[in-house]
Amino acid sequence: MSIKFRMLVGAMALALTGGVYAAGEHGGHHGSGGNGAGEPGDASDVSRTVEVVMYDNYYEPENISVESGETVRFKVWNDGALVHEFNIGSAEMHEAHQQEMQMMVEHGVLKGDHIDHDMMNMDMGDGHSMKHDDPNSVLLEPGESAEIIWTFTEASDLEFACNVPGHYQAGMYGDIEFK
Amino acid sequence: MGKYWSSLILALALPVWGQAEEYNLSVDRVMIDTGGFVKEGIGYNGASPGPVLRFKEGEEVTINVTNNLDEMTSIHWHGLILPFEQDGVPGISFPGIPPGETFTYRFPVVQNGTYWYHSHSGFQEPAGAYGAIIIDAEGREPYRYDREYVVQLTDKHPHSGDRILRNLKMSADYYNRQQQTVGDFWRESSEQGFLATLRDRMMWGDMRMMKADIEDVQGFTGLINGKGPEQNWTGTFEPGDRVRLRFINSSAMTYFDVRIPGLKMTVVQADGNNVQPVTVDEFRIGVAETYDVIVHIRDAKAFTLFAESMGRSGYARGTLAPEEGMTAEVPELREAPLLTMADMAGHMDHGDMDHSSMEGMDHSDMEGMDHSSMESMDHSSMEGMDHSAMESQGNPDPFYAPGSGLVPAAANGGKFLSYADLKAQKPLYEEREPTREIELRLTGNMERYIWSINGIKYEDAEPIRLQYGERVRFKFVNETMMTHPMHLHGMWSILDVGEGKWNPIKHVISVAPATTVYMETEVDAPGEWAFHCHLAYHHAAGMFRKIIVEGGPDESVKSLTKAAEAQDGGES
Repeated sequence: MSIKFRMLVGAMALALTGGVYAAGEHGGHHGSGGNGAGEPGDASDVSRTVEVVMYDNYYEPENISVESGETVRFKVWNDGALVHEFNIGSAEMHEAHQQEMQMMVEHGVLKGDHIDHDMMNMDMGDGHSMKHDDPNSVLLEPGESAEIIWTFTEASDLEFACNVPGHYQAGMYGDIEFK
Repeated sequence: MGKYWSSLILALALPVWGQAEEYNLSVDRVMIDTGGFVKEGIGYNGASPGPVLRFKEGEEVTINVTNNLDEMTSIHWHGLILPFEQDGVPGISFPGIPPGETFTYRFPVVQNGTYWYHSHSGFQEPAGAYGAIIIDAEGREPYRYDREYVVQLTDKHPHSGDRILRNLKMSADYYNRQQQTVGDFWRESSEQGFLATLRDRMMWGDMRMMKADIEDVQGFTGLINGKGPEQNWTGTFEPGDRVRLRFINSSAMTYFDVRIPGLKMTVVQADGNNVQPVTVDEFRIGVAETYDVIVHIRDAKAFTLFAESMGRSGYARGTLAPEEGMTAEVPELREAPLLTMADMAGHMDHGDMDHSSMEGMDHSDMEGMDHSSMESMDHSSMEGMDHSAMESQGNPDPFYAPGSGLVPAAANGGKFLSYADLKAQKPLYEEREPTREIELRLTGNMERYIWSINGIKYEDAEPIRLQYGERVRFKFVNETMMTHPMHLHGMWSILDVGEGKWNPIKHVISVAPATTVYMETEVDAPGEWAFHCHLAYHHAAGMFRKIIVEGGPDESVKSLTKAAEAQDGGES
């Protein structure tokens, strides 16, 4: 049982986003189509740095504009009293990840204000752990900070979001707009 | 607590500090149309419910209340932290507002969230004298939503409050329409055996209780924002919206189980205080509680907002839809739960308020009976509960007696909110050891419809004296078979859910039958306060105490807040 969060790229993401548009699930206030969230970027390609502060339970800023093909360094700081995540993905990717995060809560890995690292790194008996180490996200305890370098390969329907159970639903997300 | 006092002192020292908003409310005779019946009642500014009062945290409000009735009235600002003379309880905070007169309330608004206001005189609140309060936060709200609605529930009854209490005093089961019948007896006999069923009935009869004694007052129509099920209150949305629903239970007597089939609800606030968000399929709202939830609605269709009473004798219904006039299927009422022996346990352990019937009981017989019925109870209801609750929640709700007939389960088999899920988003107080514990047994005599605390009803009881600056741990032991929503005025009730500093703060603590629940209170508000069961007819029948907070933060503040008894002077 791996809860590793896999990037949805290529055909699968195309199929998903295609389905979403067909179903008209989005309010249409996001980007204009595309496939996937992008990929981990290279420090040498970074064009600018965006600072994101996480509070209980919201981000500042709540809107980030990017250009397709751009590589951005995100400096993320948790200024809240609770654990928060900064995760770049589509609404569907976030929804899938929320189930994994729910599992982290149920297994005592994720507490309100801290992460049980021993529990998180424990082998679950099948060679997998609940490690939260995907390149498109960081999970931070209060006071922690981290960086993500991300390349937005092409215009896509993306949000940055905190998938700690309940947080996204309460509105802890921001829009990524493609210029 | 420092915050409160500094804002109070500031407000008093600088009358123009912050914004000084003025509101006018008239207390009027109104007609209330539930869609099923029309009844004269009491409202504010010509309507019931009254207008939604929207305050801003940090402002000083002035509210002029004009009494157009031919009887005394009052308004209590439920859940608001304010000087006690502004709390609106006749006989404790002030004398009340005589007919034809205007009383001016003035207080600083030191909190934010969803609250409500209601008359604290007689049965004016069940007659319709209630409304909602929204207090916008000084800073930004910690949530994002596109629109919001107040969803104020009540249980409108065709009888007047005086008549209901008279009928209950005459016969406590006057309004119980769900009594078990002879048919039930024979059906159960065939399932469980004649003798077991007969013993079971005799046992409950000796307790002057029935398994169906979950709601004292049935026969009401559930209203949402004053509208009956057929009148269908509707909140509109754009697909993709996050909608904040501010639920307030302004019922006289009725707990509601609330759900919106097809939508998950993320609970973000309880009793006006932000909680760490928790997503649920259904929640139970006790009388006088509030819960704020956010729903994310993606589809352009109608959703039914369905609030079934805990005893399933009635419901309120509304709709969320892209436009007015759209409706969704209205679910059937689920089968009424029955109380079990587990709900009776508190009553049996400490049956001291019902000596006559306890003594009259044959104890040897009772033991024999215990075994058979306890076992049959355990197996049927525990297992049924386990299956639904275990899968979604991991364990049954610890705020109900194990095996209780009242343990809630979500209609869709999903997550049902428990008190155990409530954790403060941002603790208001430093965590510290309580200075002392006060045990309050919730007691009653169903036969004579007397409700009391520690076996003593209000008019015979001494006030509870607290010292300013102490932290008191209250131990509620519910020895009755009814659920009591206990409401402390003026100070927060810190509900012990076992989470230390994250324990949530509330203004109503619901205590289920045969359970013990703890809350702690930082005694940070001088003066005299009411403390009572918020079920209108329990409150009226004596489940009520006056709380006196002795001492104060310092001489000057004390003399200011005790303006009414300024000569007192006194030591801090």
